This record gives sequence, C-alpha cells and structure tokens, in this order.
Amino acid sequence: MKIEERTYTKADHLRPTGYIAKSLRVTFRQLWRATKNRPNTVLYPWEKLVYPDCYRGRPGIVLDKCIGCGRCAKMCPNQCIEMVPFGADEKSKIKRPQVNLARCMMCGYCAEVCPTNAMLVTPEFELSTYNRADMMFDPIKLQHPYKPGYEVNYEFALASELKGGSAKAYAKNDPNVHDTIVLDGSKCISCTRCAKTCPTGAIEMAETGELNPKTKKPIKHPKFDNTKCVVCEQCVEVCPKSALSIKEVL
Amino acid sequence: MATLYTELGDFTEWLLGIVASILDWTKLDFLGEFGQWLQTEPVVTFLTTFIVAIIYLITLMMFGLCFIWMERKFLGRFMDRRGTQIGVLGFFQNFSDGIKVILKEHIVPKAADRGLFEFAIFAILATSFMLFGCIPMSPQFYVIDPPLALLLGIAIFSFAPFSILIGGWASNNKFTLIGGMRAAAQLIALEIPILLVVVSVVVMTGSLSFWDIVAWQQENIWLAVPLFIGLLTFFVAAIGEAERVPFDLPEAEAELVEGWQTEYGDVRWGLVMASDYFRAYIMCGLITMMFLGGWDGPEFIWAEAWYLMKTYIVFFFFVWVRAAMVRIRTDQILRIGWRRLLPLAIINLLIAIALKTAGVF
Repeated sequence: MKIEERTYTKADHLRPTGYIAKSLRVTFRQLWRATKNRPNTVLYPWEKLVYPDCYRGRPGIVLDKCIGCGRCAKMCPNQCIEMVPFGADEKSKIKRPQVNLARCMMCGYCAEVCPTNAMLVTPEFELSTYNRADMMFDPIKLQHPYKPGYEVNYEFALASELKGGSAKAYAKNDPNVHDTIVLDGSKCISCTRCAKTCPTGAIEMAETGELNPKTKKPIKHPKFDNTKCVVCEQCVEVCPKSALSIKEVL
Repeated sequence: MATLYTELGDFTEWLLGIVASILDWTKLDFLGEFGQWLQTEPVVTFLTTFIVAIIYLITLMMFGLCFIWMERKFLGRFMDRRGTQIGVLGFFQNFSDGIKVILKEHIVPKAADRGLFEFAIFAILATSFMLFGCIPMSPQFYVIDPPLALLLGIAIFSFAPFSILIGGWASNNKFTLIGGMRAAAQLIALEIPILLVVVSVVVMTGSLSFWDIVAWQQENIWLAVPLFIGLLTFFVAAIGEAERVPFDLPEAEAELVEGWQTEYGDVRWGLVMASDYFRAYIMCGLITMMFLGGWDGPEFIWAEAWYLMKTYIVFFFFVWVRAAMVRIRTDQILRIGWRRLLPLAIINLLIAIALKTAGVF
C-alpha cells in the first residue's frame, strides 16, 4: 500500500488551484472509481461481508463435551450465563449453561475459559427476534455443530518464567500448569461433599493414616488429581468449613 | 411547422364548439349568447395558452424531479455510496418524499405574521413556476415568445430575495431572519455580474429573444467559445443565485438549522425544496440557451432532447461543484461577487464589444 505524503503551505486552501481545481480533481477521481467498480456500500440484507475466521458471534455449545463445570457462568462479564438443570427431570442435578443473548456482548470469554472446548464462538450474528423471550437460549437451543476453528485457543507464559528469561509457551488446557486446590487439613471435617461435587472426578477421599479418637475409624481427606482438575472451584464453594482454597500458579 | 399552440388551438376550438352547441340546445337566449362568446378569438387564445402552460408546467416539473434524482445519485457516487434506492434506480424516492410531506401537518408559529408567512411561500413558488414558461424547449414546444424573453426571465428571477426576506421576517425566528438577510445580500450581489454577462450576450447576438440568440449561434458559433470568461462568470454566479453549495448560506444547515425555511413544514416546505431545484434548472437552461446553442444539434433526435441533454450536463457540473466544495463565508461570497465576478463580467463585456466592433462575427 502506497502512502502519499502531503504537505500544506499556509494559504494553500485559499488559492484557486488548491481550493477549486484540486478538490474538483479529487472528487471526480472518486466518482470515476465508484462508477467503474462499485460504491463502497454493502446492500446488507442481500449482500454480506465475509467474516474473518476468528469472528466472535453468539456462543454455541457442544453438549457431548460439556461437563457442567460452570466456569463460563463465572467468567461472563455481563452475567448472562446461568447454569440450569438439564435433562428430563426438573430437579436434575446435571446443569448446563443457558445464555441470555439479549445481554451477551459476544466477547467469547466463555469459550476462552471452557476447559473442554465445549463452548464455541459461532459466526452467527443475526439474532434479532420479535420478543425478548426468544433471546433466552437454553442449552438445547444453544447447540451448534462443531467446526475446527470455532473453539478459542490461546497460549500463555508464566510470569515467574518470564522474569527468569526463559519463558515457555503453554497451551490453554495444559494439565500440568494450572491453579491448584490447597487443603487446610486442620479445618477439614471429611464430609466428602467436594468429592461428590467434582464434575471431573478429580477428588478422591484418601486415608491420612490417622484414626478418629472417638470412633476409631481412619480419617479421610480429599486428594486432588491435578491432571483431571479443571479449576472450576465448585469444591471450594461447597466446602462447609472453608477448608479449601485456590493456589494460583505464577 | 406544427407547434404545440396550433395543435392545441384546434383542439380548444373543437371543445368550445361542443360546449357552445350544448348551450345552444337549451334554447335559452342568454346561454346561447354565452356560447357564441365562448367561440370568439380571445377566449380560444386564452384557453389554449392555459392548457399549453399546464402541459409545460407538468412536463418541466417531471424533469425537475429528474434533477433531484440526478443530484442524489451523483452525490452518492461522489461520496462512494449508492444514493437513493427506492423503486427503479431510486427514482421513486421523490414520490415517496412528496407523499410524506403531503401527509404532514401545517403548523404556523404562534408569534409569526400569519398573512406574510403564507404569502412568502406562494410568492417564491409562483415566481419559480413562472420562470418555467420563460425558457422555451424548442421552436415547437414553448409557452410564451416575447421579444424581451431573456430580460423577463432575469427580472422574475430577481423576485426571489424579496419573498425570501419576507418569509424569513414573518417567521419571527432569528435563524430564518439571518437566512433571509443573507439570501437577500447574496442574491443582489450576484445579480449584477449575471446581468452584465447577459448584456455581453445581447451585444453579440443583438436580441433578447431566445429564438434569435439560438439562431445566431446556429449560424455562427456557440457563444461558449468567444465568451468563455462570461460562461465561467455566469456559472459561478448561477450557483450563487440558485443558493447551492458552496454558496448555500441562506440555508446553512450547520449554523442556521434550515435557513429561512426553518419554520415551514408540510407540503409548503416540500414545494420550496423542489423549487430550489427548479431554480437550478432555470439557471442551467439559461446557460444552455446563451452559451451552449440551446436546442442546436444534429437532427437525428428531437430539438427538445438536445436542449434537455445540455441542461443535464450543466447540472452535472453543479452537482460536481457541490460535491467538491465547502461552504464559504458571507463576506467571502460578497467579495467574490463584487471583486472577482464583476471585473470578469466587465472584461467579458469588453471582449464582446471588441469582437463586434472588429467585425469578427
């Protein structure tokens, strides 16, 4: 692309050549160009621009992959995602995201944080409806066929390694490099609620080797399998004694 | 040669004859006498002129709408967009606009001078429509043929600042008043060069009738060649007279809302807006007649078509200037009018006199 260099002297626009001849020449060139080729206007309903591959339209979901971790609902800046019961039963414990597209700003963060790439960014952008209820996309309606490129992937480096000078790029869901759950053993009451809640089955109740002095039974504490953990923080939330916390990887 | 007048004269005579026979059939004396009076020469002439004028008015209003359409389409291309798109190539935009303004409510401001407020619109519309009749399209298709047609046209044109000032004053609004003042100052300043250029044309052709001017150009040469300076002067002054960009100070949208038309609504505003284009058409027609040979051209198409084609080409330059220029200040307009265009017009007049006295033409 050629960039013209333009210089203006002080009274250039006052001279007949500057004010009249030049502007006439420029506009006529534009007229000729628009007539020979075509105007810049896109006749929208009939013509559409080619959207780029990375276009972030409405979110879509592949239900086979979704594990119901709820990270999308936590991440959503507009809080338009809600985890709703999914399945035949109204009171089903299985939960899947429902998106209120009237509030969605198409940032695609939900797809960015999704640990299984079940959440996609689709190229659909024509979402007008005649009433607001139609903008509420329940998990079934939210489904969208998967195509490579619809998921959002990124690479990241650790700040500690950057400081050391030899940073390594990690993929989005690297099982070895992510935040970890830390247990404060003195608070744990061995209720096993974290193990029941975990959507990936990464928590296992393991014996600590101690015996309960009253019942003489072995005390069990949760043990975390970091390769399975997706850091959804559901165990942290359900813990009745706040024994669990997140340790960030830095 | 069968002109519009001879054709319609026969028709009118036949029509009035039928009316007279019906009146005669009633066997009432006074009605029979009335029928005989209807068949006299003055009545037939009056009715023929009336019908011709109406036909001419409707025809030219249609071509005036074409001017609006042309400006929209060309401005669109100048700005790299498509312009209007309603109907066939966007031509029906004018009609939908017309229907819209007809459906609007007529509002007169409470503090306005009601009589003058209504009068100003009809004054400017009447002068605009009168101007249509002044310019013939061809030796066959015309309304009036006075020996001083050119002078008559310019005279009617100079009624405009009068009615604009009245309209601006009667609206009782500062924007309209400023717009009216500006219009009056600008139109009067630019009328002098226009009249001087007209004088140079008269010097060359020796007549104020369009027929003689066009006949002179057919015999000799189009006046655009010897009086090129005059053509340029007239063109610039004509843009100012038609109140178009870059001389659209009377309705400077950025400063004065809509200029002197701010308080007008409904179909009156629509007609004033259209009459802007009609006045632009008159100016294009005058340029065509005086400098571009009028209906002169090879005879494989009608003379009217030649005339209209030249008019549209001149209007294309109007649109081009509008797309290219920005609006200039009042003092700059007056300076251009008095200090640039006036000397140029006088130089042009001297050239015309020199050519005439040297016997070149």
